[in-house]
Amino acid sequence: MKPGAVITEPGSTVRNKTGGWRVFRPVFNMERCIDCGNCWIYCPEACVSKSEEGEYSADLEYCKGCGICANECPTEAIEMQLEEK
Amino acid sequence: MKEIRFHGRGGQGAVTAADLLAMAAFYEGRYSQSFPSFGTERRGAPVLAFARIANSFIRRRSQIYSPDYVVVLDPSLIEVVDVTQGIRDDGKILINSEKSPDELGLETKAEVHTINATKIALDVLGVPIVNTAMIGAFGAMSGEVSLEAIVKAVKNRFSGSLAEKNVRAVEVAYQKMEERL
Repeated sequence: MKPGAVITEPGSTVRNKTGGWRVFRPVFNMERCIDCGNCWIYCPEACVSKSEEGEYSADLEYCKGCGICANECPTEAIEMQLEEK
Repeated sequence: MKEIRFHGRGGQGAVTAADLLAMAAFYEGRYSQSFPSFGTERRGAPVLAFARIANSFIRRRSQIYSPDYVVVLDPSLIEVVDVTQGIRDDGKILINSEKSPDELGLETKAEVHTINATKIALDVLGVPIVNTAMIGAFGAMSGEVSLEAIVKAVKNRFSGSLAEKNVRAVEVAYQKMEERL
């Protein structure tokens, strides 16, 4: 039997991609984006980031599809699309 | 005795699904039990729930290791846990997925069925909580419990418009599954 609650290797949590069960994914429309940064601020997973080119995107390995970013976006630049699986 | 294992994620209603199934079987005059097993209690964490249905008193109280049926509420679980573990060769697996059983490519001798319960739940309930739809589909796939008994169990569990919507979800899923068999 495997030992429970024992971390045999430090830092193993980063291998646990927790975004797999999302039902909706955020899709960013950068043409409507006014760079207010609300999505980045409000994301409870802190998985929204801004690229060097100034484009926002969500890290889908961790995004749970909660839709808070889309809800907070003042220009409705983020659309929640049904995930295919 | 038939043993059923549910794989779900926290918040999808796997525990309630097992309860409803046991309740439905009970309404049909059979003996039944249901119980959950989970690790981390949080939304999205993998959850197990179990149900037993029998025509005589059930003395077994252990976790289910060789189920007759497996119900998978979330397709992404297939990559995370071995949903086929211990399933009997003559068993049946029901998966909530928009793909066909062949596309999923599970390595098992058991019969695999799929139903797009997420779509049914979103259409009927407006939220992606798939448990009632999956129980409806399970009823049609397995023949273990009748549609009427499931509806009765759902009405007993929920009230008002929530009950109505969930009954609809059960009926739609039951019909969809029946058509496909």
